[in-house]
Amino acid sequence: MRWRPPQWLRTPGAVIGTALTALVLVVAALADVIATTDPFATIGPPLTVPTAVFPMGTDDLGRDLFSGVIHGVRTSALVALGVGLIALPLGILVGGVAGARGGLVDDLLMRFSEVWQVLPRFFLALMVIALFGPGLDRIVLVLGLTSWSLLARVVRAEILSVREREFVEAARAGGSSEWRILWRQMLPHAMPVAIVFVTLLLAQVCLIESSLGFLGLSDPNAISLGYLASQAQRFLRVAWWMWLFPGLALIAIIVGFNLLGDAINDRIRGRR
Amino acid sequence: MRRRLIVIGWVIGLVAAACAPTASPSAAPSGGAASPPASTGPTGGGGGTLVVAIGADPGHLNPAITTSGGTHTASELLYNGLVGLDDGLKPVPELAESWDVEGDGALYRFHLRSGVTWHDGTPFTADDVKFTFEEVLLKLHSRTRASVGPNLAGIDVTDPLTVVFRFNQPYAPLLQQLDVTEAPIVAKHIYNGSDPAKNAANTKPVGTGPFAFVSYSPDSEIKLKRNEAYWAAGYPKLDEVVMRIIPETGSQIVALEKGEVDWVWGVPGPDEARLEADPNIELLRTDRNPGGSNCIMTVSFNLDRPILGDLRVRQAVAHAMDRRQFVDKILFGQGRVAEAPISSGIGFAHATGLAMPAYDATRAGSLLDEAGWKAAADGKRAAAGVKGVPDGTPLALEFLHFPSFARYGELLRSQLAEVGIELNLKPLDPPVFAETVFTNRAFDMNIISYCNGPDPEIGVRRMYDSAQIGAVPFSNAAGYRNPDVDALFAEAQRTIDQAKRGELYRQIQERVVADQPYAWVVETSSVRAYRLPCTGFIGYAQFAATASCAP
Amino acid sequence: MTRRYLARRLLQVPPAALVILVGAFLLIHLAPGDPILALAGESGDAAYYAEMRAKFGLDRSLIEQLAVFVGNVVRFDLGDSYVLGRPAALVIAERIPATLLLTGVALALASTVGIAIGLVAAARVHRRTDVAINLVTLALHATPSFWLAQLAILTLGLWAGILPVGGMTTARSSATGVAALLDVAHHLVLPVAVLAATEVAAIARLTRTGLLDELSQDYVRTARAKGLSERRVLVRHALRRALLPVVTVIGGRVGHLLGGTVLVEAVFGWPGVGRLLLSAVQARDTPIVLGVFLVIATTVIVANVVTDLVYARLDPRIRYA
Repeated sequence: MRWRPPQWLRTPGAVIGTALTALVLVVAALADVIATTDPFATIGPPLTVPTAVFPMGTDDLGRDLFSGVIHGVRTSALVALGVGLIALPLGILVGGVAGARGGLVDDLLMRFSEVWQVLPRFFLALMVIALFGPGLDRIVLVLGLTSWSLLARVVRAEILSVREREFVEAARAGGSSEWRILWRQMLPHAMPVAIVFVTLLLAQVCLIESSLGFLGLSDPNAISLGYLASQAQRFLRVAWWMWLFPGLALIAIIVGFNLLGDAINDRIRGRR
Repeated sequence: MRRRLIVIGWVIGLVAAACAPTASPSAAPSGGAASPPASTGPTGGGGGTLVVAIGADPGHLNPAITTSGGTHTASELLYNGLVGLDDGLKPVPELAESWDVEGDGALYRFHLRSGVTWHDGTPFTADDVKFTFEEVLLKLHSRTRASVGPNLAGIDVTDPLTVVFRFNQPYAPLLQQLDVTEAPIVAKHIYNGSDPAKNAANTKPVGTGPFAFVSYSPDSEIKLKRNEAYWAAGYPKLDEVVMRIIPETGSQIVALEKGEVDWVWGVPGPDEARLEADPNIELLRTDRNPGGSNCIMTVSFNLDRPILGDLRVRQAVAHAMDRRQFVDKILFGQGRVAEAPISSGIGFAHATGLAMPAYDATRAGSLLDEAGWKAAADGKRAAAGVKGVPDGTPLALEFLHFPSFARYGELLRSQLAEVGIELNLKPLDPPVFAETVFTNRAFDMNIISYCNGPDPEIGVRRMYDSAQIGAVPFSNAAGYRNPDVDALFAEAQRTIDQAKRGELYRQIQERVVADQPYAWVVETSSVRAYRLPCTGFIGYAQFAATASCAP
Repeated sequence: MTRRYLARRLLQVPPAALVILVGAFLLIHLAPGDPILALAGESGDAAYYAEMRAKFGLDRSLIEQLAVFVGNVVRFDLGDSYVLGRPAALVIAERIPATLLLTGVALALASTVGIAIGLVAAARVHRRTDVAINLVTLALHATPSFWLAQLAILTLGLWAGILPVGGMTTARSSATGVAALLDVAHHLVLPVAVLAATEVAAIARLTRTGLLDELSQDYVRTARAKGLSERRVLVRHALRRALLPVVTVIGGRVGHLLGGTVLVEAVFGWPGVGRLLLSAVQARDTPIVLGVFLVIATTVIVANVVTDLVYARLDPRIRYA
C-alpha cells in the first residue's frame, strides 16, 4: 500500500472532508485553549445575542455558548473515538476469524453478528441510557458494542475475496501459520475498507449521540451539542443563536466524516 | 359541645371565590338548605366552547385513585369534593352544604346538598361519600390515605344526606383535605364491587361536576359537555369543554396565540411579556396546581453523610446560594425567594421575619474554613482536619435531581463553584430518584419540589417528622430527627384553634431554620393564560365552572 | 429454491425476537428504579406500596416474572400499564396508526423523491445540476433531524405561519369526513418533510452511485450501440438493475426511520408510539417500554427479511442454497 498525499487531495470533497475532520480534531484537542471560560459558568447576562464578548451569545443562565459549542465538539470527538476503539478491533477480529477459518466457526460467528445487526441501535442506546442513567461511558459502550457487526461482515467479505489469491497461497506454501497469514497477508488487505466503514460509522455515531442528548439523555457533567440543541427548543422564538450554532457544529463534524470516508473509498476503488 | 361553624349556601362560597380577580359570578341566591333541586330549573349555558391545552395524556379520568397531576388536570371538572377551597384556602360548600365540628375536632358532621344527581341521573347520597372514602380514597389516593387514614376511627351515614367522620383524637386539617384534588367523590353505584383501579368508568367517568364526560381519544383529546343538572344554579355557562393534549409548552403557546386553544395551564417565563402585551390574551397567576399547591423548591442535605452532618457546611451552602438568581434566570419572575420553610400560600402557618441565611459568599467561605475545608490555590477545597473525613478529600458533592429540574442544578453548581464546592449533577427519572433518595439514601444533596398543599399537615410535616424517614417517596429526605419538632407537629395536628396552631408552626419553623436540614430556595407560582372573549376563570380545581366564552 | 430460502429466513425470526425479548426484560429489570412510584403515586405509606407490589407481581423472583412475561407475550398479553392501568398492548395499538401514517408517508415520499433525484443526478453526472444535488444531499444526510425540525418550526411554522407546528388535528376543528382528513394532512406536512429529508438524501445518493455503476456495464453499451435513446437506456435498463441496492437500503433504513420518528414525534407532538416510549421510559412503565421495544424490533427484523426476499425475487443472479 502506497499512499500519495498530493494525489489524495485532488477532489474538493477530499479536501473539505480532510480539513473539517482535522479542524474537529484540533478543536477537540485544544478546547480549553480556544475557549477559556468554563462552559457551565454563569458569567454573562442571560439570553444575549452574539457579540464580540460572546461570539455565539449566551443561554438562559448566562453561560457562554461559544465555550459550550467548542467543548461540545470535544465531547462528540471523544465519543466517536471511544466507539471507534471498541468497534474497530471487535469487527476486525470477528470478521477476520470468520473469514479465515470458515466452516462452523464462520457460521456461528455470522449468526451471532446477525442478531446484533438487526438490533435497532438507536432504541437500544435510548433504553440503556434512559434506564441506567446518562454518562459518557455508557454511551460509548452501548454504541461500540452495537456497531461492530456490519464491520465484521465487511471485513469477512474482504478476507474471503483474498483467501485463495496467489500471495496467500504463497504464504501457505511457505509454511506460515494461519494466524500469521491472517495477520500479515489478509488483514492489511481488508484494512482500507474497514477504515472507510468506520469513518462513515463515526458520522452515524455522532448523530445518535446528539439525538440522545436532544432527548435529554446526555451526560450532565460534560456539555454536548445535542444537549445544547435541546436547550434551544424552549427558546426557539426568543434566542435563535441557541439553536443555530450547536447544529452547525454538528453538521460540520458529520459532513467531515462522510466526505473523508467517501474520499478514502474513491481512492481504494481507483486503486483496484 | 356542638358548634355550628358555617351554614351558608353556594352564593357565599362564590363570593369568597370572587377574591380571584377574574371570577365574576352573579348567581341568584339559592336559599341555603332549602334550595330547590337544581335540576328543576337550570339556567346558564350559552357560553360556547372552551378549548383547553393540557400537557400530558391523563391515561384515565379518575382523580380519586391517583395524585397524578395529569389525571387531575383533565378530570377535576367532572367531579366535586365535599368542600371547595377558595383563594385563601378557606373551605366553601360544595357537595356538603354545611358542616358541624364537634368534640373539639374529633367529629365532623356534614350536611349534604339535596337534589344533586350523578351525570347518569342517579341521585347522590351519603352512601356515595362513605363508599368513596372507605373503598377508594383511603385505599388508592396516596395523600389522603397517608394523612386522613391513620387518624380516622370511622365514617357513619346517619341519614341519606348526613355523613359523620369520627376521629381517634381531634384532627384539625380535615376541611383542607376534602376538595376535589384531595378527596373527589365518586359514585358508589358505578364502583361498588369492582376494583376501582380497573373499572371501565375510569375512562368513561360519571361524576357530579359542572361538566359531564363525552369522549376521550388517548393522547389526543377529551370532550366534556355542560352538566345540565348542575347543582349551582346558573352554572356552568360553557356548553362544551374540549381538552387538547399538546405536550410541548412552546407549541401550546403557539396554539394560544393562533387562537387554536383558549386556555393554557402554564406560560413559560420568556413568553410572558409577549403574551401580556397581546390584547386578546389575559394572564392569571396562582400558586395552586392540580397536582399540588404551594410548592417550594427545596434542597435536601443528607444528614447521614459526615460532610453534611456538619451544620457549618449546610449553612455555607445556604449562604453561597444567590436565590434571587433562581427567580430571575430559571423562573423568569414566576415565583419568589422562599422566606420561610412553610409556604406563604398557607397564611396562618407561614412565619415571617425568620433568620433565613442570606446570600453571602464571604461568610460561606469562612464557615467552610472553620469546618476544616481549606481552599487550595485554584479555589477548590479539600478536607484538612474534618471529623470522619480523610484529609485531602476534595469537597465534591453529588446532587440528584429530576431531569426537568436540571436548570436548578446547573445554576447551583455554578454558584457553589464560587466558594470552592464542587457539585456533580445526577439527573434521575422520578422512579429512580425516589428509590435512590428515600430507599437507598444514596445521595449528598438533591432538589425536590415539596408542595405544602393547603395545610402543613398534608405537605410540610412529612419533611421533618422523624417517623417519616424511609422508603416512602417524598417524605423526610434529609433524614432529620428532632424530638421537639416531632412533638410540636403532633400538637399542631390536635389543635383546632388556628391562631394557636399557627404559633406552633412558627416554633417549628424557627427550629428547622436553625438546624438547616434543607435549604428552601424559591416558591414557584404558575401563570395561566386565556384568550378573550373567554373569561370568568379561577386558577385551579374546577377552573372553568364559572367561565364563559360567549362574546 | 426460493421457497427453502424463504422458510430458512422466516425461521430466523423467532429466535432473534426471543433473544431481544429476554435481553430487554433483563435490561429493564436490572436497571435501577422502582416502578412502584408510577403505580402508587407519591407519599403513600409502606403497607400500601407492599400491597401494590403484590398486585402487580413485583414481589416475585425475576425468573418467575420473566417466565410469566414470556408466556403472556406469546398470547399477545403485555400486562397492564403501571401508569395508565390499562392493557399495554391496547395502549400501544392505539398509537400505532399515527406512527404508521407518519412513517408510511415519509418512506413512500422519500423513496420516490430520492430515486427521482438520484436519476436526475446520474443523467447529468458531473454537470451543475449533479453538483448541486450532491451538495444538498450531502448536507441533508449530515443534518440531525431534530435540528431540521426546529428549523422548519421556526421558518415555516412561526415566522411564515403557514403550517401547524404540533399535534395531529386542529384543536378547534369539529370537521368531519374529507375536511378532517385534509386537516390531518395539513398537520402531517412538516413532520413528514423532516422525517423524509434525511432518507431522501440517503436514497438519492445511493441511486446515483448505483446508476453510474450500471451505466459503465457492457449491456448498457450494447443497448446504446443498438441506438436506443439515452432516456430509454437509463430508465428501462440501468435503473432496474440499479434499484436492487436501493431496495436493500430502503429496507435496511426502517430501523433508522423509526429512530427518527421518536425525535420527530417528540418535537412535533405527534401522538404516536415514539412519544409513548419516551414517556413510558421516564416513568419506568415497564410493560409499555418492553411492548414498544418488541414492536419496533419485530418490525425491523421483518423489514429485513422482506427486503432480502424482494431482493432475491428481483435479481435472477442470486441463488441461495
